[in-house]
Formats: sequence, C-alpha cells, structure tokens
Amino acid sequence: MKKFLLSCLFFVGLFWALSNYQGLAVQGNYDSMVLNFRNDISADQVDRELKAIAAKYRIEPKFNSSFSKSKRLYIVKGDAQVLDKLKQLEELQELTEYVEANYVYSVDFIGGATPNDPRYQEQWNLKAIEIEKAWQKTKGKGITIAVIDTGVSRVEDLKNTNFVKGYDFVNDREDASDDNGHGTHVAGTIAQSTNNNFGVAGIAYEASIMPLKVLSASGGGTISDIAEAIIFAADNGANVINMSLGGGGESKLMQEAIDYAYKKGVVIVAAAGNSNRNAAFYPARYPKVIAVSATGSTGDKAPYSNYGAGIDVSAPGGAIAKGGDTTGGILQNTIDPKTKESVFRAFQGTSMAAPHVSGVVALIEALGVKDPAKVIQVLQQSSIKVTDDTLNYFGAGRLNAAEAVRIASAGQLGVDDFLRWARDNGYLSPRFWVDGGAIAIIPKLIMVIGSYLLAWLLTRQFPFRWNWTFSNGVFFGGAGLFFLRGFYVFDLIQTPFRIAGSSLPELGNAFSNTNALNPITASVLLPLGLLLILLGHPQWKWFAIGTAIGTSACLATSAVLAPQMMWIGEGLPAIAFLSVNSLLCAGFAYLSIKSETSSI
Amino acid sequence: MDIQVDGKIEYIDMGTGTWALVTDTDEQYEIWQPAPEAILQEGLKVQVTARIRDDVMTMAMIGEVIEIKDFQLL
Repeated sequence: MKKFLLSCLFFVGLFWALSNYQGLAVQGNYDSMVLNFRNDISADQVDRELKAIAAKYRIEPKFNSSFSKSKRLYIVKGDAQVLDKLKQLEELQELTEYVEANYVYSVDFIGGATPNDPRYQEQWNLKAIEIEKAWQKTKGKGITIAVIDTGVSRVEDLKNTNFVKGYDFVNDREDASDDNGHGTHVAGTIAQSTNNNFGVAGIAYEASIMPLKVLSASGGGTISDIAEAIIFAADNGANVINMSLGGGGESKLMQEAIDYAYKKGVVIVAAAGNSNRNAAFYPARYPKVIAVSATGSTGDKAPYSNYGAGIDVSAPGGAIAKGGDTTGGILQNTIDPKTKESVFRAFQGTSMAAPHVSGVVALIEALGVKDPAKVIQVLQQSSIKVTDDTLNYFGAGRLNAAEAVRIASAGQLGVDDFLRWARDNGYLSPRFWVDGGAIAIIPKLIMVIGSYLLAWLLTRQFPFRWNWTFSNGVFFGGAGLFFLRGFYVFDLIQTPFRIAGSSLPELGNAFSNTNALNPITASVLLPLGLLLILLGHPQWKWFAIGTAIGTSACLATSAVLAPQMMWIGEGLPAIAFLSVNSLLCAGFAYLSIKSETSSI
Repeated sequence: MDIQVDGKIEYIDMGTGTWALVTDTDEQYEIWQPAPEAILQEGLKVQVTARIRDDVMTMAMIGEVIEIKDFQLL
C-alpha cells in the first residue's frame, strides 16, 4: 500500500514537473507567424487581400522561401500579441487554412549527437568508448577529479571547464600550473571544454578538475609528494583521483595514502605503465586502485602497454607510428613545454588511457553511484568483454561509457530519466505538445507516464535492456501516434490518420470514429495474442511485451478517466472490464519478462 | 644501489616524451633528470654507472628510473 501511495505521489509530482518543464516552453519560442492561404483562392486574390490586411494592420507579409509561393505560405514578423490579433481577424479566418506561430526550434546540446568542437572528428578514442550516448544522461556535473600529475594549465580549451583549488607539491605553492604538458593533456581528456566551437572534446566536461602538481617539468616526482597529494585530494572533496604516473617499488606510505582516500570514498585510477611488461606498475598495482592498460585505435593492446597482473580495465591510450604520424594518438589541448603556449598534441601512453577511465568514473558518480566498490563493479560490468584474453591485456574488457552510464542509471526514477525516456520515444517532439491541444492531451499524457512507470517498475524487477522494439511496443499499446488523430488536411480521408493516431485499445473504435472503446480491442486479447505469436522471436517479443505494458496503462487510464464501452456502456461495468483487462495485460507482461530474463 | 649498464640513448615518445637507456636486450631505463647534458644525444652508445631510483614515479613509465652518476662513451 505504501508503495502504491508513493507511486501515486510520484505520478502527481512527475505530472506537475512535466507541466512546468522549461524545456518544452523554450522549444516553443517564436518571433513570426505563418499564414497559409487556402489553395482554392487565386493568387491574385491572395495578393489583393494581403495588401489590404498589410496596410490596415501595418504588417509586412513575406514568402517563407521561393518555394512558398505556390503553397501560398506567408511569414509575418511579430510576437504573441500580434499573433492573437491576426488569429481573430475575420478576413484571415475566411481566407486561410491556418495562422500559427512559426516556432524556432533551437536544440540545446543534449548528447546523443556530435558536439561542435571542430577537431572532435579526430578523437577516435571518444567514439571508441561511445561517449555520445553517455552524454545523453550525464556530463559529470558535480563531480571533482583530482589530476595528480605535472600540473594543469588553463589552456584555451579548458576555459569553460570548472576548476577547484589545487596545489603544487613540487614547488610548494598553490598555483599548480603545468610546465611539462602532460597533466594539462590528461585533464583535457577528462574534462576538455566541449561543444564550445573550439578544439576538441573531453569526457566528463561538466565535472571539476583539481590540479595537483607532483611531477617536475621533466616528468618525475617523489613518492612522498604523490602520497601527500592523494591525502590532499581526499581531504578536499575529490571524488576521483587520476594518476597517470608510475614506477618504483611498493611503498607503505603510498599504500596508506591510498587506503585513506579509498575509505573516504574516493575512486582511484592509475596508468598500468608503458614497458610492455607482465604486471602493472605501482600505484596501479595496489588492489584498491583501478589499473588501466592501453589500447590503440584498432582496439588491440597498444604495443607499449603493460598487461597481466593487476590490470582491471583497458581504455584508448593510442599508438603513434614511428615516423611521426600522430593520428593514432590521443589528441587534446595542452602546453608546449618550451614556449608554454597552447597547442593541440596527440600523445600515446597508459597515461592517456587512465583519464578515459577517470572521466567515465565521474559520469558514473554523477548518476549517484559513489561507493568505490560499486563504481568498480559498474566499470567491470559495463566494459566490453574480450574473449581469449589469456594474458589479461584488457582486464574486464574495453571501457564503454554508454554502457557504464546505462548500468549506473538503471533503477533510477526521476524527472530527468522520464524526460529522456519520453524524448527517446518521440513524445517530446515540439509539434506533439504545441499542436496537440485539440486532442485530449491530459489522458494521453497520463498514458505516456503510466506506460513509463509500469515499464520502469518491471525493468527494476527484471533488469533488461530497453530496446527499440520494446519502446515501440509501449508506444503502440499506450498512445499511438496520437497527434496524427487531429491531422486535418483538406480533401484527405481522415481514417488512416485516425488509425495511426490510435493506441491498440482504440483501434476498434477508430474505424467507426466513436469515442466508445471496442471491448475486443480494448482488452487483454490483442496483447496476449501478440505475446503468444511473438514470444519466440528474439527482437519482436520485446515489441509484444511493450505492447502489453502500453495497453495496460492505456486501459487503466480509460478506466479512471472516461470509461465508455461499446455494448457494455458507461459506469461500473466498463470500469470493471477495463480494470480487469489492464491488470491482465500487466500480469502477462510481468510473466513474459520474468521468463525472458530468467532464461538469459 | 649502483648498477652498471651498457646501452644506447634514445628519446622515447611516451606521454610528453623522455630520455632512456635501451640495452641490447631491449630493456629500457628511464633517465632521471637532471642528467649530464652530454649524454642526452639520440643514438649515443654508452656505459653508465647509475643509481636505481625506486623512491620516484614518472609520467613516462617506460621502466626503472636510473640517476646517472657517471658514464663512458662506447
């Protein structure tokens, strides 16, 4: 009961949040209107009428493009007030098919797409870890990564990146600028300013960098400085420590610093070393440190990378061919060690591989998985396994940001997750919200949310992958392309649109164009039939399961909101019929998922 | 502990790059800086007397770090 109440509360909260969601409003900005004149009016008449209206209301109608003339499509500049006025004009009402806002659809960078950094194309390494999909969910906001290295200089492509206070343990001062170029490069892989129309991209570019300088200009430093930096990071709020450094023997001082940070919940990542040896170097070798081996652009172990004992995971470290072709390296913005000027350089090394893992760890943590043991578990589960890896070149496998983020966010329920879900399923199309007013949008909205909730509850119970066929099934069962229902085109037969705009339970009444649901389609029969037919198919079974979930939500909504059935009528009998069938649909979906996931 | 190693001086392109002593059996030693200027020449064949630095770490991580005490051209 408590769960039910909580679900209801969530439902209400979600609905409220959605109706107040800024993003939807932002998408509906406009500074002009579209006037679409009827096609049965001659061009001359349109011209004449338009001139009269233009003079009377001091507007300047223009063709949208040279193609618009034949379609009689005009654009008028103006705001909401002008639009209201124009809509109310009787002359226009008679002459036009419609007058509507000319929405400007500006899309904020939300991931899943290519960022606008001009040299992003050269970053094969970011594509290799599927970073774009991961960005749909998080960019690492709120997480701090300590870069224990040669320091970090604020080069141009780190200008938009957040920094927190660091320290220079080599020169004993607060300013931890880089005099080698290594640390700045490493920080770039983690959080290079991204989608800023400049340079290259970084993995967790909304996270903060804590620069800690322990290596001198020539790239070496003492274990005591490094141990101190680890403790500094743990005491100053770092969530992740990246150490693209190694060497020396086992050290009690270092071990204690690592234990201290780990106990404070810091995830520690280190490079495995570059001597092509069968064992990770210290500090990567310590059990509580994630040791990262390096792969080249083909995904094979980089020739220099250490392997074997201690390797936890592999990530792109690049491999630069002898002779100077650096396209196989990892490209970031850094400083030229001699001139200290900002340069873009491609480097190779497990030093370059480790920050890929640190970046992905930041993404995992940003989704709320913060316990180091759990973070490591997510990394291991999400890495793409490599078969026949007898020498342990790859540890758990090849780093994969998309999968890591998916696993880390599994079981999350919230407005962000819902909106993502809605967008992935096409529910956030601007037309859908802006023009959907004429159709009963509230019940449909509840169906969409209901489908989501049901699907969420089931996936929580039985973790499986959301996939295309499943999402489409939910869509088909729950809502249909319902904005098409109101699609009205002069002289066109509406039935096909009404059918396309119907959810499965509504199909029975879409043909006859009534609002009363047909008990044959608005029941468990069709989803059950689909399940029986498709359950043997590896992909389409998910469509059937999705349909059952969507139908269940749709029937439940109908039971609550507008129970009206053919032959059964209104009121209690309809409510009972719809409720029972809704439960049956949910039950069958539950049983199907249960049998599917237990057989994996 | 001091050791004596024969090998060739090479600049290894790892990370931002580092100087190394590479033996005939392809074992790599990273040269700790500052090192004698005269030794840092690509291809130079030398015998070095050096101390292994196991109290340090580096960004190049190509092998054991040696601090050169003395060297002879071969």
